[in-house]
Amino acid sequence: MSGWHKRVESAKLLKKRKFANEVHDTDMVQNRFFYNRNLRFTFLGTLLLFISSCASGRLDPLKPVGQNAKDIDGIMRLSAWMAIAVGLFVGAAVIAVIIKFRVRPGDDPDELPEQIHGNKKAELTWTLIPVVMLLFLAVATIPSVFDLHDKGDGPTIQVTGQQWWWQFSYDLDEDGQSDIITSNEIVIPVGQEVNLEITSNDVIHSFWIPQLNGKKDAVPGRVHHWRISSPVPGIFYGECTEFCGLSHANMQVRAVALEAADYKIWQESQLAKSSIPTGEAAKRGYDLFGVHCISCHVINGVYEGAADGNANLASGVAPNLTHLMSRTSFAGSLFELYNEDQSVNIADLREWVRNAPGQKPSRPENRQGMMSFAEILNGPELDDIVSYLQTLGGKPPLMPS
Amino acid sequence: MAITEEPPLILELESGETKPSTGAFARPTYAKGWRAWVFTVDHKKIGIMYGAVAMFWFLWGGIEALLIRTQLLTPNGTVLTAEQYNQIFTMHGTTMVFLVIMPLAAAFANYIVPLQIGARDVAFPRMNALGLWIFVFGGIFLNLSWFLGGGPDGGWFAYAPNTSVTFSPGAGMDFYAMGLQIAGIASLVGAINLIVTIINMRAPGMTLLRMPVFTWMILVVQFLLLFALPVITVALVLLSLDRTFDANFFNVGMGADPLLWQHLFWIFGHPEVYILILPSFGIVSETLPVFSRKPLFGYSVIVISGAAIGFMGWGVWAHHMFVSGLGPVSVAAFSATTMFIAVPTGVKILNWIATMWGGKITFTVPMMFSISLVSMFTIGGLSGVMHSVAPADTQQTDTYFIVAHFHYVLFGGALMGLFAGMYYWWPKAFGYKLNETLGKWHFWIVLVGFNLTFGPMHILGLQGMARRHSRYGPEDGFDFWNLMVSIGAFVILIGMIIFAINIVKTWLGYKAGTIEQSPADPWDGRTLEWSIPSPTPEHNFDYVPVVTDLDDFWHKKYQKDENGKLRKVADGNAIAQLGDQHPHLPSPSYWPIVLASGLPLIALGLIYTLWLTGIGLLVLVAAIYGWSLEPHTDPDVGHGHGDDHDDHDEPDGDHSENLIDSPKDESTEEAPVG
Repeated sequence: MSGWHKRVESAKLLKKRKFANEVHDTDMVQNRFFYNRNLRFTFLGTLLLFISSCASGRLDPLKPVGQNAKDIDGIMRLSAWMAIAVGLFVGAAVIAVIIKFRVRPGDDPDELPEQIHGNKKAELTWTLIPVVMLLFLAVATIPSVFDLHDKGDGPTIQVTGQQWWWQFSYDLDEDGQSDIITSNEIVIPVGQEVNLEITSNDVIHSFWIPQLNGKKDAVPGRVHHWRISSPVPGIFYGECTEFCGLSHANMQVRAVALEAADYKIWQESQLAKSSIPTGEAAKRGYDLFGVHCISCHVINGVYEGAADGNANLASGVAPNLTHLMSRTSFAGSLFELYNEDQSVNIADLREWVRNAPGQKPSRPENRQGMMSFAEILNGPELDDIVSYLQTLGGKPPLMPS
Repeated sequence: MAITEEPPLILELESGETKPSTGAFARPTYAKGWRAWVFTVDHKKIGIMYGAVAMFWFLWGGIEALLIRTQLLTPNGTVLTAEQYNQIFTMHGTTMVFLVIMPLAAAFANYIVPLQIGARDVAFPRMNALGLWIFVFGGIFLNLSWFLGGGPDGGWFAYAPNTSVTFSPGAGMDFYAMGLQIAGIASLVGAINLIVTIINMRAPGMTLLRMPVFTWMILVVQFLLLFALPVITVALVLLSLDRTFDANFFNVGMGADPLLWQHLFWIFGHPEVYILILPSFGIVSETLPVFSRKPLFGYSVIVISGAAIGFMGWGVWAHHMFVSGLGPVSVAAFSATTMFIAVPTGVKILNWIATMWGGKITFTVPMMFSISLVSMFTIGGLSGVMHSVAPADTQQTDTYFIVAHFHYVLFGGALMGLFAGMYYWWPKAFGYKLNETLGKWHFWIVLVGFNLTFGPMHILGLQGMARRHSRYGPEDGFDFWNLMVSIGAFVILIGMIIFAINIVKTWLGYKAGTIEQSPADPWDGRTLEWSIPSPTPEHNFDYVPVVTDLDDFWHKKYQKDENGKLRKVADGNAIAQLGDQHPHLPSPSYWPIVLASGLPLIALGLIYTLWLTGIGLLVLVAAIYGWSLEPHTDPDVGHGHGDDHDDHDEPDGDHSENLIDSPKDESTEEAPVG
């Protein structure tokens, strides 16, 4: 389990880095505006903020950024407010009963309290009041259900879940063929409602980036439509939330929102195909990659045998590594690809290539997850492969700050 | 007239003497020792065994919960591997639902319902025993998986296609699918039995609207079981066919839609929630009036809202699937139906509070557990209304907010109610009260531990902590509340240990004579079970009471004087039956446990090797054959339950009537049967 301990260390490091601070700051400005607009919920907002501020993580559904997440947050606060009001009323009634109607020491045990068998008026009242409250809630809820299902004005991205990572495909020219295939990080343009077409290659997963929108299941054989958007650039974090087997806990995802110009640049860089590297170590790594890795991984332009679901895996697909280095994380966003000083996180990357199942629970013998090369590749060979991997793609457009 | 098993064939011998036919084997006659329990058909022994076995699984399910909480105590916990964690959370849910709360409710239903309706047993005593033993073997079978390569790892909800052989190659999911089919047969058998019992065997004068609320809720639950279990059974059979015989019901590659499983599972699964909670609603509807010394406020409204929940519970299943990819119309419709099922539930809560309002409340342990149900369940119900808002649910579902919600419903609701029932009916079942001081410690520690465990889960859920994750990172900010939750779980453990100490201590005290025998009516009760001695005599009622009122026994104790003021006219213990009659009772039987033992063999065979299935089938067929040929009672013994009294004379010619396997028929001399 040495990999896990290392993971603890690396995660501690990340905590120091205070992820996505930038995003939260802009987000707070947004939030303040939002609360002012909804003064009714100030009390509840304070309460929930107090609760959520006890420890601030990086998922934070209570600090919505995207418009959909904000809409959901509004109606959730409304329902929470109603629930708390009713809860306080019932709680007060129970406490009143306990204090007021307890047997006192001097009471005559044969003296009975007034025997009331019911009161039709009272019962009708407390049937109708909830009915009215719930009608109000239903009227508020139903339009927003339909709103969330509408299509957006932005580009369409195919989102595919598999054990245990996410793939994102962009069909730029709308010819039915994916032009960009990337993993772990979905890159979106700021300010546009991006349409997602969510599906799965194996079991059911659920795509969730809480600050941008609620979740939507990825079901094999079905395509589910969903939207995300962000008004500000930044990195947003998410988790798989439908139990999807062994490494369900280690299937994370990020959304990278870029300004329109940056998004354009990113797209163009992603279209570039790979070629044979020139460096000596990288060239050796390239050859080793051709022996050991291409039954699953695709690198556009050089190793394409495993494309189109031909990977030797239960789900049929492994991450396309053509532009590996343009991402900030790897292995289902479980590990950071770059250190704090923006140098490549070679230690974790090398360990992952050496013994992936030791780093992340998987079942390679059942073709679920990457196999271990600990018995197959020696130290220098691993170094060569890592050298080669570092030649794949440019720097990420945005780093976790 | 009760529906009874067929009366025996009377053979005319040449001598002119009549003799009932005997089956292949004589019926067992054990009066004492373990065999008196194993072969019993007495609803009270069966009820106690349901309870004892359920408490064993409660211990096991609790250990599973503590393992989960130990793993999540700190970020990146290493106590369990991901594989172990997945198996343990799957079995924690499965165990608590199918092997703890359902059988605990069955324990109360079996023990209390016949007493509340004035019957000497259930309609089909041997089937009752069959249900118990199928449940026992089903539970053992399910947990055998731990020793045969690992537990089920697909979650208690077992979403396809993650449960297919491709993605779950171990035998765990086979044990899940077959084990739940076996346990389902047990519930189905019990449901039919109790429905027939409640409809046909009520004491004369007990109209449906004079029936105690607990019995009412059990009746509603049995109908829910009767209709819900076939649905899950279909789903489980399809899953078993997929896994065992390579069928393609959930194989996406062959054109299946995995949502089929979800619909089937939740069409069962949502009524199941009411199957779990309604018995406890029934229990507190008994205890709140007794300890407030007031009648239930709005009896008919509580009964009708219980029945309404039973109906409406069928129209809300897709709220478990708001993010599964249903269209907006379905989502909106199920969102609305889910909101409105809160109405009958809310009415119940307010009626319970109104029952206590103006009363004279004594805070006994059962009352404290009952009040905690009223308040804790309310919290769970209200967070449930929050989930019914489908857009909000897209943020909440599959996070710890949901985990908090359903633990407030099932622990704060169902389990608190069942504890109330245990303390309340313990003297009736065992003849002595549990210690009230230890009981109060038990209550307060569990209440605090419960809120410390499940309260912070609301916060964790709102922070975005997903369910069923075997680890979380330090960067997620979940550390503090997870620590609190884990501490809370161990506080609950302390409370439960005190409960165990209470049981053992009072039992030893009772044996040693230091704890007094409970009178028939220790709580000034309202219903018929308090009109007979504690512990309940083997035959329940010396004579079947004639019922003239709701809360009939209470009305025998309190009547209006000439000024129209209610006065106590009799002491409950003084007017209770003496329990000194010895009517004939159905004899014990070998066959229920033999028949039940065939089922796990069949299932094991389907997983491993078919010849075992053959043996299981042989056992099953032989047991059915033996059962059908069994004499209804062994004429040489006379008293099936083995009460070895000799003073009870029976005219010989009367024998045939007494052989009938129905308790009701034997009471015809004492009371008219309605």
